[in-house]
Amino acid sequence: MKINEIHNEKLNESYFEIKHPSGLTILVLPKAGYSSAYAVFSTKYGSIDTRLALADGSYTDIPEGTAHFLEHKLFESEELDAFERFAKTGANANAYTSFDRTGYLFSCTGNFKESLEILLDFVQKPYFTQETVEKEQGIIGQEIRMYKDVADWEVLFNLLRSLYQTHPVRIDIAGTEESIAQISAETLYSCYSSFYNLNNMVLAVSGNASVEEVLEVADRLLKPSKGVMAKREFVKEPAEPVTGYCEEKLSVNAPQFMLGFKENIKTPERTAEERLCTRILLDIIAGKASPLYKKLLESELINTTFSFEYFEGYGYASSIFGGETKDPQAVAKEIKDEIKRLKTEKVDKQSFERTRRKLYGRLIMMYNDVDELANELASTFFTGNGLFDEIEVCKAVTLDSVNDRLKDILEESGSALSVILPV
Amino acid sequence: MENTPFIKTIAPGVRLCAVQTDRFKTGCISFSMALPMDGNLAAKAILPYILHRSCKKYPDFSFLNGRLAELYGAALSAGVSKLGEAQLLSINLTSIDDRFALTGESIAQSSTELLLELIFDPDLVDGCFGEAAVQREKRLLIEKMESELNDKKAYALRRCEAIMCKGERYGLSKYGTKEEIEALTGETIFDAWQNMLKTAIIQIDIVGSGANESVADALIARFAKIERIPAEIQTLFVTMAAGTRREEEKLPVKQGKLVLGFRAGMEDALDEVTAAKVMTDIFGGGTYSKLFKNVREKMSLCYYCSARLNHLKGVIFVQSGIESDKAQLATDEILRQFESVKAGEIEDDDLKSSILSLCDHLRGIEDSPEDLAMWYTSQIIKPDITTPEQETEKIKLVTMEQVIAAANRVTLDTIYMLSGTAEEAETDEN
Repeated sequence: MKINEIHNEKLNESYFEIKHPSGLTILVLPKAGYSSAYAVFSTKYGSIDTRLALADGSYTDIPEGTAHFLEHKLFESEELDAFERFAKTGANANAYTSFDRTGYLFSCTGNFKESLEILLDFVQKPYFTQETVEKEQGIIGQEIRMYKDVADWEVLFNLLRSLYQTHPVRIDIAGTEESIAQISAETLYSCYSSFYNLNNMVLAVSGNASVEEVLEVADRLLKPSKGVMAKREFVKEPAEPVTGYCEEKLSVNAPQFMLGFKENIKTPERTAEERLCTRILLDIIAGKASPLYKKLLESELINTTFSFEYFEGYGYASSIFGGETKDPQAVAKEIKDEIKRLKTEKVDKQSFERTRRKLYGRLIMMYNDVDELANELASTFFTGNGLFDEIEVCKAVTLDSVNDRLKDILEESGSALSVILPV
Repeated sequence: MENTPFIKTIAPGVRLCAVQTDRFKTGCISFSMALPMDGNLAAKAILPYILHRSCKKYPDFSFLNGRLAELYGAALSAGVSKLGEAQLLSINLTSIDDRFALTGESIAQSSTELLLELIFDPDLVDGCFGEAAVQREKRLLIEKMESELNDKKAYALRRCEAIMCKGERYGLSKYGTKEEIEALTGETIFDAWQNMLKTAIIQIDIVGSGANESVADALIARFAKIERIPAEIQTLFVTMAAGTRREEEKLPVKQGKLVLGFRAGMEDALDEVTAAKVMTDIFGGGTYSKLFKNVREKMSLCYYCSARLNHLKGVIFVQSGIESDKAQLATDEILRQFESVKAGEIEDDDLKSSILSLCDHLRGIEDSPEDLAMWYTSQIIKPDITTPEQETEKIKLVTMEQVIAAANRVTLDTIYMLSGTAEEAETDEN
C-alpha cells in the first residue's frame, strides 16, 4: 500500500493519500498542536444522482430525496444504532447530504480510533426495514416543512427551478413529502449497493490523528465492495433558463431576491482556475469595496443581508447575487448594468491585485479549521483536484485570465430573478 | 501552558485576555463592551455597527473595505447580544498570521491598529456622527430587527423570552425599540459612544501569535485619555415560576414552533451551574438525550427538539418544530420526559455520555481562535476567568444526585406556540 505525501511549502501543511486495497481512497491531514480530530466518510452520491445504473448498462429512476433519506436511515442498525455507539466515545456525530455528495462524520478530542471504528462499521452495514422507513417519513416530512418556511432556502430553490430545465440541481435535496412516500426499504438497499461501493467513496481525516492510526482501523474494518458501481451522468443543460422571473409569498418582513446567471458549460466540472477567476470577478463586481455595493447601499436597495456566491458542482455552475431589497427589479437592473460596464471596460490591475490578495488570505484562513479541511479534502477528491490547487492558482493567476473568464460568464440571456414577497 | 491566557487590567473595568500561540494560521481580536440593559438601548445597539463601517482615517466605507482586502481579506464584523441582563456590543477582526504575508508588513499589528481606530477615532462631522452615516445605520438596524421575523425558530424563541420575562430587562429586545431607533440623532449616538468608552465593562480577547505585550501597551495608551467609571451590571434571577403562562400566535407558516420556558431555580450565575448544565444536556442536549430519543426518534414528531440552559439568566428553553395540531401531544411528551429526569429515571450510561460529550466539546474550543475568543468574551462580567480545561474538570465531577437535584429546582413558566394559520393548512392539502 503506497502512502503518497502532498506537501505545501508556504502553508507548511501536508496530507497523505492512500489507495486502500478495499478500493477506498483515504486522505489524512494531521494538525500539530490540535486536540480535536474530524473524520468524514463520504460517497459521491447526492440529490443530483436521480438515476441508478443497472448491471445491463441501463438506468432506472430513483425517487427525489432518496440520497438524503438513506443518510438518515444508515444510522440505524439491528442492534445499537450509531448514535448510541458514539455516545460511549463522547464524539459528536452527524451527517449531511448535498447536491453532489453524502458525508458521515464525527469530531472528537479523545477516543479517536474507537469513533473511527464505529464510523467505518455503521456506514458499511445498512439495515432498513419497512417499519423504520415509515417512521423516518414523519421526521423527514417535518424537515421538509421546516425548510418551506425558510425564505433563504425557498428563494434559492425557486431560482434553481427557474434557471435549470433538465439538470437535477433543480430538485430539493430532501425531496418532497410525496416523493419520499415512494421510498421503500428495497429502494434504499439498491441505491446503497451501487452508490456506497468503496471505489465511489473517500475517507478524509484532519486534526489530531495519524496515518498509522487511521490505517490500523481501516485495515480491520474495510470490506471490498461487490456489485455495479454508480456512474454519474453529465446531464446536458440548455443555455436558456426555464423562465426569467419567479415569485412566491411567504411570512417575511421584506422582499428577498436572488439573481442567478447560469453558465453554459461544455464539461461537467470547473477547473481550480475557473473557480478562482470567477470568485475574483464576483468580488470585484459586488464585494464590499466595490462601487456597486456602495451605490446599492446608499440608494437603500440592499442591506447587510446582501451576498453573492459561485454556485457550482457536477454539471452545473451559476453566479448568484441575493439579499433583502425593497425593489427586486431595480437591484437586478443595477447588477446587470454593472456587469455590462465591466465587460466593456474590463477589470483594472489595482482591483484585481487587491481582490486576489483578499482571496489568498481567505483561502489560508480555512487551514485553521479541521472540519472544513476534512470536508474540503473529500470534495476536492471527488472533483479530481488536490487540496492545495486553489491556493497555488491564487498565487499564479493573472489579470488576463480573469478578463478572459469575464467574456465567458455572467450572460444576461442565461439569467433569472427569484423573488420572495411578504404575505 | 500555551492555552492559558495572559490577563491584564488595562484600566478600571478594562481587561485584556490574550492567548499567545502560533498553532493557528490566523490571529483574532475581539473588542467587547458590556453595558446594563437600561436607558436608550437603541443608541447603544447602533454603536458597533456605525463604528465598524468607517473611521477618521478611512471615512469612506469602500476605502475601509479596500484596506481590509489589502490586509489579506481581514474579516471585520460587529454585533449586539444579550449576556444575562447585559447588553454586549462587540467588534471583531480576524486576519492571517504574519508568516503568510506575501510582502513584509505586520498584518497583526496593522489589524490591531485598525480596530482601535474604528473604536476610538470615528469619522465625526462637527463633533458628532454625520447625518448620512446615522441615517444609513438607522435603516440597517431597523431592517435587521424586522428581519428577525424571517427565521421562525429564532423568532419563536425570542417571543417566548419576551412573554416569560415581561417586566424583566431580559425580556427587552437587544436592539431597543423601532421608535427608539427612529429617534436617534448624531448627538444621541455620540453621547452613547462617549458613555460607552467611559462606563462599559470592556474586555479585549486576542488569540494568535500577535497576542503580546505590544497590544497591552497600545490599549493602555488609548485608555489613558479616558476617565473610566465602570458601570455595575446585575441580572435578576427569578428562581421559581409563579405559574404557567400559555400563549399562542398565528402566522402563515407551514410548520409550527413550540417553545417551553423554564426557570432553572438558580439564584445567580454560579449557583450549582455545572449540575444544571449536565442536567439540561441529559434532558435535551445530544442524541443520547431524553428529548431526541423520545420526541424525535420514538414518536417521529419533529426533526429537532432540544433544551438549552442560559446560565447567565437562570432559564432553560426547549424548542421544537412540529405540526401545528400536535402542540398538545408534543408538550405532554416533553413534560413527561422532564418528569422522568426529576424522578431520576436516568441511566448511568446517559450521565456518562453527557459528561463525555460536554468535555469533548469544551476541549474542541481550544482548536478555533474564534471559539476561544468567544469563550473568554462570554465571561466579561465575571471577576475571574476560567479556561475550557478548568470547566471540564468541574463537569467531570457532577454526580447523578446533583443532576436530579438540579432538575427538581426547575419550574415551568411559559408555553409558547407559533402556529400556522388555517389557510396555510388548507393549501397544504393540494
